[in-house]
Amino acid sequence: MEQLTSLVVAENELGSIARALGRLTLETSATHALLIDKSGQLIAAHGQQGQRDVIALGALLAGVFSSSRQVAEILGERDFHSILQQGVHESIFTLLIGDQWLLVVVFDKQTHVGLVKVLARKASEELARILDRVRAGSAQARDQVVSVQFRDSVSNTIDLLFQD
Amino acid sequence: MALINVAAREIQCKIVYYGTGFCGKTTNLQYIYRHAPKTAHGDMLSIATESERTMFFDFLPIDLGTVHGFRVRFALYTVPGQVLYERTRVAVLNGVDGLVFVVDSSPEKLEENFQNLIELETNVRKMGKDLGTFPFVIQWNKRDLPNAVPTATLDRYLNRRRAPTFEASALTGDGVFPTLRTICKAVMAGL
Repeated sequence: MEQLTSLVVAENELGSIARALGRLTLETSATHALLIDKSGQLIAAHGQQGQRDVIALGALLAGVFSSSRQVAEILGERDFHSILQQGVHESIFTLLIGDQWLLVVVFDKQTHVGLVKVLARKASEELARILDRVRAGSAQARDQVVSVQFRDSVSNTIDLLFQD
Repeated sequence: MALINVAAREIQCKIVYYGTGFCGKTTNLQYIYRHAPKTAHGDMLSIATESERTMFFDFLPIDLGTVHGFRVRFALYTVPGQVLYERTRVAVLNGVDGLVFVVDSSPEKLEENFQNLIELETNVRKMGKDLGTFPFVIQWNKRDLPNAVPTATLDRYLNRRRAPTFEASALTGDGVFPTLRTICKAVMAGL
């Protein structure tokens, strides 16, 4: 079987990501910022998510963005790199990073959307560099985490949880 | 694309249930939601029309808990099966790590199943993958129908890759968990 492509985010890289999101949230006065994978999986979050279901949020936002890329294709556009969703109290700005990650900034009326866009783009450059490093180191890091014993243990857990 | 977050000690993978409209993709997830241990899944999210036809996707997060220090999660998705949502299916496939092809065993659905499989093969190829070597299982659903097409016939027309197959009746739950177990293990084996 073909080996799946996977991204392995190391501890030091997650620290860099967290600092970038923290800076972005502070400078924009956003309520929170998320970094999600294009398939909807949450990588990191910073801010006042509170009780929000960030797992569902990630899945939905990635779905919306993925859908918009199909719209771009129909229109003959190479891609849509960002989406702005404006609400009454809060808005969401989503930005594509390196064709793999989505930077999501949730902000309220205290913040101007122009500021969010400019600073999000600036943060995305740093996050893109981190993504390049993550990609470069993924194969080796994966082998350290996913051993035969690990796979066997996961397999046993699957059998236990999903019995007929 | 599988995500291994070493710092957060999490592994996340995406599995998509694919198939024609009304073949039982949503029913599979609903059964898993109702019958899997509560600790093993989150809330199910469904973006559907007013008549409960999937319009965008269903989403069910699965959590195996901690294994060797890592939290292992699977995100289960279904695609909308109706013909007009072809582009939406491509969007939902983004980043997929494993596929379940759900087949409606009704005789009148055979041609549509075949076309749907061709579409899936095309979409997977566009992602740079090969369905022959990708984690992929087939579920022959609706086996409870009195006029269900024999599985040997379905196999001949729809399974030239000799993928693992499971007979199922998602409404009653038959075959749902065996399908899920196999695709989850296939994804882990491919990591």
